[in-house]
Amino acid sequence: MKTTTAKSLRVSKKEGVRKPILAFLKSLLTDAVFDAILIPMQVPAGDSYAWVLVKDPSLLDQANPLAPIMPVQGAKALKSLTRKGEGNLKIAAVMRPCEVRASVELAKLNQIHLESITLMSVDCPGVLPVADYFENPGESEKRFNAMLSENRWGNGSMKSVCQICEQFSILPSSDFHFGLMTGSESSVVLISSSPKGQRVLKDRSLDGSVSLSDWENGIESIRQERKKERTKRFREVQSMVEGFDGLLKTFARCIGCHNCQSACPICYCRHCYFGSEASKLDSDFILKKAEQRGGLSFPLDRRMFHVGRMSHMSLSCVACGLCSDACPVSIPVADVFSFVADQTQRTFDYKAGEKREEPLPIRQYRLEEIKGVEEWVKDAEGVES
Amino acid sequence: MKEPFHPKIVSFLCKWCTYSGADLAGTSRMQYPPSILPIRVMCSSRVNPVFVIKSYLSGSDGVLIGGCHPGDCHYQSGNYHTRRRIAILKKVFDSIGLETERVRLSWISASEGSKFARISEEFTGKIESMGENPTKKKVFL
Repeated sequence: MKTTTAKSLRVSKKEGVRKPILAFLKSLLTDAVFDAILIPMQVPAGDSYAWVLVKDPSLLDQANPLAPIMPVQGAKALKSLTRKGEGNLKIAAVMRPCEVRASVELAKLNQIHLESITLMSVDCPGVLPVADYFENPGESEKRFNAMLSENRWGNGSMKSVCQICEQFSILPSSDFHFGLMTGSESSVVLISSSPKGQRVLKDRSLDGSVSLSDWENGIESIRQERKKERTKRFREVQSMVEGFDGLLKTFARCIGCHNCQSACPICYCRHCYFGSEASKLDSDFILKKAEQRGGLSFPLDRRMFHVGRMSHMSLSCVACGLCSDACPVSIPVADVFSFVADQTQRTFDYKAGEKREEPLPIRQYRLEEIKGVEEWVKDAEGVES
Repeated sequence: MKEPFHPKIVSFLCKWCTYSGADLAGTSRMQYPPSILPIRVMCSSRVNPVFVIKSYLSGSDGVLIGGCHPGDCHYQSGNYHTRRRIAILKKVFDSIGLETERVRLSWISASEGSKFARISEEFTGKIESMGENPTKKKVFL
């Protein structure tokens, strides 16, 4: 049973949402509710963000729960933190919803241990594509913060996957949530939705009389808009990749660097087929292939890599868009992958990372399901077998 | 003169059922088309979707995956996992507009030599009607 408690933080319009959230997190550290907090922080040079495991409360001043970019997926940071088991520290991870979802997926794949981790999600306005941000970090920072303070959500300068994201707010899988889309701009709602989350709100002197309806309505109206946009965009993507020629065209620029794979939080396999010895061919074989086709382009098997990755990880794809950010030749990798992921996840009525108790579809089966995959043929007596 | 089209169908056959079924078809002297290129795997769930994608992108006209009937898997549940995997693969193919019909999953037991021959014939016929794999002559892959 999930128990939900909501409280609210007061926000003055002038200072924005960041300060009160950080002050709240600081109080959690000083009161030893948590031993450490994992949160994005601006790097000293001021032109990017990195994940920092904060022990010293004063460091939190430089943290930003709503960083304008996502250079590293939070689930990856959490994975390196808990790779060798859970540890004894109580840690809070302040993340975007797609990072929470990726963490939950990785936990299902036994790559992250969530036992001692409290996942805290924030309402996410989206993030800027890193390439756009790096052109002028200072300017981008200002632009992003202006968008936030003016409540201009769903802005067109965000990453394309962010523009059509429907899971940008509270998730059944997060322990605690910061609701920013309150409309009134004078408060942030704090929602705890698990026993771990309850610990956070316990003994905090906060305004307990919150009505969630404003926030919920705000979220819902954005979600409805996104849903429409999503259907439209997916149709465009589908017509772009349609058929083998579409696939060739879409990934025509691919240089085979596998950056999309390294940036992907879900692609965790330490021994991937792509890039392994098993995937390498001997020259006689390659020559034969070239002979059959009249020629053969290098690097080899670029389409195979992408389609293979789709078949391997699309069930857990959280559409965070890190693959597009990582692509040095600007292929809209995330648009294609999130579309395919939407299709494959739909097959099993599964939404990656949404619920912790839902097992991975690939790990289980039902005796009778997904009709039409096997071709059932009638035998001589007309009996289906 | 244009050569007639003889399809090539890479077939991943499970050792315990379909491969034995193919053996039975052979020892019973049943006729089936030479288009089937059998690869024996220990279980149909050994077939990584990438094997199928690789076959398809390497110009194989069809890919057949043969396993034990549901409930008969030598390893209890391998074929149920195969079914899910192939379902995902077919969905991926479908989403990006590749021809899902070129991939076929069939359950053929060790005693069903005649079924193996029949499915081989049927699938070959279907591939013949679909024509050559469009990836066969591509230089840029």
